[in-house]
Amino acid sequence: MPTATTVNRLLAWTLAGLTSLGSPALRAQTDTGAPSANTAAAWRATSRLGYAPTPASAQAAQAGPRAWALQQIEAAYAASQRTPLLPAELARINAPLNDIVRDFHAEREARKTLRVQASPDATARAALPGAGGAEVFSRDMAQSAAAWRLMACSDPTVEDPLLARMTEFWFNHLNVFAGKGTVRPFVGHYVLNVIRPHALGRFEDLLLASAQHPAMLFYLDQAQSNSRGLNENYARELMELHTLGVNSGYMQADVRELARILTGWTVNLKDGEGFRFAERLHDRGDKTLLGRNYPPEGMAEGEDAIRFLARQPATARRIATRLASFFVADQPPPALVDRLSKTFLATQGDIRAVMRTLVSAPEFWAAGNQLFKTPMDFACSALTAAGGVKERREIVQTLGFLAQAGQPMHGWQTPDGYKTDAATWLAPEALTRRADHAMGLAQRMAEPAYLNVFLSGPTRERIDREAAPLRTGLMLASPDFMRK
Amino acid sequence: MHPDLFSPRRRSLLQMGALSALPWGSGAWAQALAPGKTPLDGGRLVVVMLRGACDGLSALVPYADRDYYALRPNIAIAAPDGSAQTALRLDNTFALHPALGPLLPMWQQGVLGFVPAAGLPAPNRSHFDAQYQMEIAQPGRTSSAPGWLNQVAGLRAGARGPAAALGVGEANPAILGGPASVKLIPRGQAAERTGVLANDKTRQALLDLYAGDDSLSQAFRQGAGSRMQSAQELSSEKTAADVRRKAMAGDMPMAARQLDRDGTPAGAQAQSAQMLAASNGAPDPVGLQLDAQHLGTLMRNDRGLRLGFLSAGGWDTHANQGAATGQLANNLGNLARGVAQLRRDFSEPGDVIVVMSEFGRTTAENGTRGTDHGFGNAMWLIGNRVNGGRWYGQWTGLAHGNLNEGRDLPAHHDYRAVLAQLLRSTFALSDAQLSAALPGVNWDRRLDGLLAKT
Repeated sequence: MPTATTVNRLLAWTLAGLTSLGSPALRAQTDTGAPSANTAAAWRATSRLGYAPTPASAQAAQAGPRAWALQQIEAAYAASQRTPLLPAELARINAPLNDIVRDFHAEREARKTLRVQASPDATARAALPGAGGAEVFSRDMAQSAAAWRLMACSDPTVEDPLLARMTEFWFNHLNVFAGKGTVRPFVGHYVLNVIRPHALGRFEDLLLASAQHPAMLFYLDQAQSNSRGLNENYARELMELHTLGVNSGYMQADVRELARILTGWTVNLKDGEGFRFAERLHDRGDKTLLGRNYPPEGMAEGEDAIRFLARQPATARRIATRLASFFVADQPPPALVDRLSKTFLATQGDIRAVMRTLVSAPEFWAAGNQLFKTPMDFACSALTAAGGVKERREIVQTLGFLAQAGQPMHGWQTPDGYKTDAATWLAPEALTRRADHAMGLAQRMAEPAYLNVFLSGPTRERIDREAAPLRTGLMLASPDFMRK
Repeated sequence: MHPDLFSPRRRSLLQMGALSALPWGSGAWAQALAPGKTPLDGGRLVVVMLRGACDGLSALVPYADRDYYALRPNIAIAAPDGSAQTALRLDNTFALHPALGPLLPMWQQGVLGFVPAAGLPAPNRSHFDAQYQMEIAQPGRTSSAPGWLNQVAGLRAGARGPAAALGVGEANPAILGGPASVKLIPRGQAAERTGVLANDKTRQALLDLYAGDDSLSQAFRQGAGSRMQSAQELSSEKTAADVRRKAMAGDMPMAARQLDRDGTPAGAQAQSAQMLAASNGAPDPVGLQLDAQHLGTLMRNDRGLRLGFLSAGGWDTHANQGAATGQLANNLGNLARGVAQLRRDFSEPGDVIVVMSEFGRTTAENGTRGTDHGFGNAMWLIGNRVNGGRWYGQWTGLAHGNLNEGRDLPAHHDYRAVLAQLLRSTFALSDAQLSAALPGVNWDRRLDGLLAKT
């Protein structure tokens, strides 16, 4: 446990790091030198409200960065209400939930049979039908989900860039871990049906959708909790991470009461139900959550409690802080957090309205509010510069890079999600491995000449001294490209 | 996301009394850092984490316990009788799995000791929760916290000093996460590669791009230097080993170099040469042994590195785990070679190696000749400071009434209490430092004597 001193030291280090991040790169230049103030703003807007500029968005954003940014919110919302453009080979992750549940159940049954037939001799086992392939379904589902995220974050013809960004943000806020066997086949469906459609909707709808999805029900053990064997895991994280935040006034007794309220919220694998309220497992007694009495009303108790938690000022503050850290600065300006929080409360958690406040804020555009790219940012922005995913190899390489960099796709074990600050990701040897990845990708892509305008004078001059193949790699590996 | 003393979870722990008192005070042998010494000068610690729950009852076999054989009709390791497929006797209670043969000399030399029944304070059957909690040394916590090895590393140089800890294999293991800077290199041969930095033209261009005074440029240059150096040290070590091996082969007459059809050396001279080569670690090491060798080389070259971390997976043997041979035996063999390599590189007076896993496996075999998630497990300690050749702590056998929930080995000792003994002995940490690294741990006097006092 860090003492106050270590935490302060960490903060001090982060702040020191950020102030000195402001090297020549991305500095707005005068007309004589090329990049204008609009160019720097366009880099910021396209890199944060998406992952990187494309030739088209580079032009549109430079023409009027602030108006462009506001338009993105409406475009992303509209996209969120449309069916995702899944390539046929990934379509399975968006199959009806009950089909996925049934396939998963069948996979588990097959594995059980395999175990019963199991022989102590590994070679005999390998000869059994289906051996070694027992978990192919789950594995394919997880790989397809990860592939979708990469295609979505790097190609505006596949997915709206801000919608891909908001999907990343909310997935991370309501994190599930694809390494847990029961979660694995459901991750893609969770992304597409819980996170994506609500990413610019109302927070409480998003929260409720996550509470009723097998990915979350399994991940935080809610599926196993019942009146006789209470599991507090989900109830605790629902308050500590998804809504109120630690130190916001709730007590251990509240955790327990919320867990009692949610008893019966489970998954029925056998009958192919992704979510089911099992009356039989529900605690029918009276409960008191944060001073509010809950008379026995079955499933309605849980719905009410979740919406109630979603509307609390502490929740508004927590979401506002996380959004501002994600989009503006590692240590977000308190005045901005206040304004976001107010919008959240005034609109009953309308995420679109909060985002409008955010991109209209001077803090969003202030040059001092720097952000360093996470591995995910770097990977998606490099792929965007390459024109999106062209072949399977790019997916395999990029997922490999993310895993090696410590940010594997859907691979964070704990419910707090990945950190997104420079203190976590600005690690010396990690930067050299970004250069490896950049050079590897550069071998198979056209030179993204449209990015030149965004590079600082010294960077551009240095890169211009090299021949074409190396130029592309250096562009992606340059310090300018590490910031957003 | 940092732990808060007044969070509900913390309060509930306080109510339970788990943190009711500062850990030890009166009973424990307190130490003071010798004047003129930098923290962690006293020794070096290597942690080997077996991810996936290693079956401790196959590694450290309670062969004298009849229940062991009754519970595991198909997968028990046969009691030692001196033949190849049976366990290797340690004392009247325990024997080693035959694949752990490389550890037997360490036991005989008195540098290997066990705590046979240790673990988390309460059962947690989720691999990832249990591993995470073991790495942050805060049982029950699921939210973000720094790793305990990072906390210890921070004692040496604070958050901004040179790295005192080296991790091999994982991108950012929780045990090393936190404010102190640590050095991380990838698993296997990737650590020997400089990637694009190997190309002079590319390297120079990158260094020019990152020539500035800003923190990003500084970090890049530091990383490039560190990576070039690591890769160079590791690959030159490898080249030296190759040269030694070739020289040895070259000195031999042709006939002696030839192998029989089954691969055994034709002559006695070749055989001794082969053994000599093996003792140099010359046969191309793979898996954990290679990672161990990398760890040893880098920590030998940089004396500021005092803490090492390695991990090995593949222990989740729910089906067909095998017995004297089979998948678990293969994995144990790989582990034994890795640990033997570590012992070669970490045999200075203050060096200690600890091997641990997130929990043990069920005492009984399941319907698929494997084992399921259990609770208590053995911890292994190796080093000159270890009063080895014996085991420590409570052991109550496998009789049904003595098991946790009637199925698992109990964890008689908090794993953090074992670590506390280790950190006190190796680095002379104060009570306050131990409390910071291992929050809420109590000093367990039943383990006194496991390690030599500083």
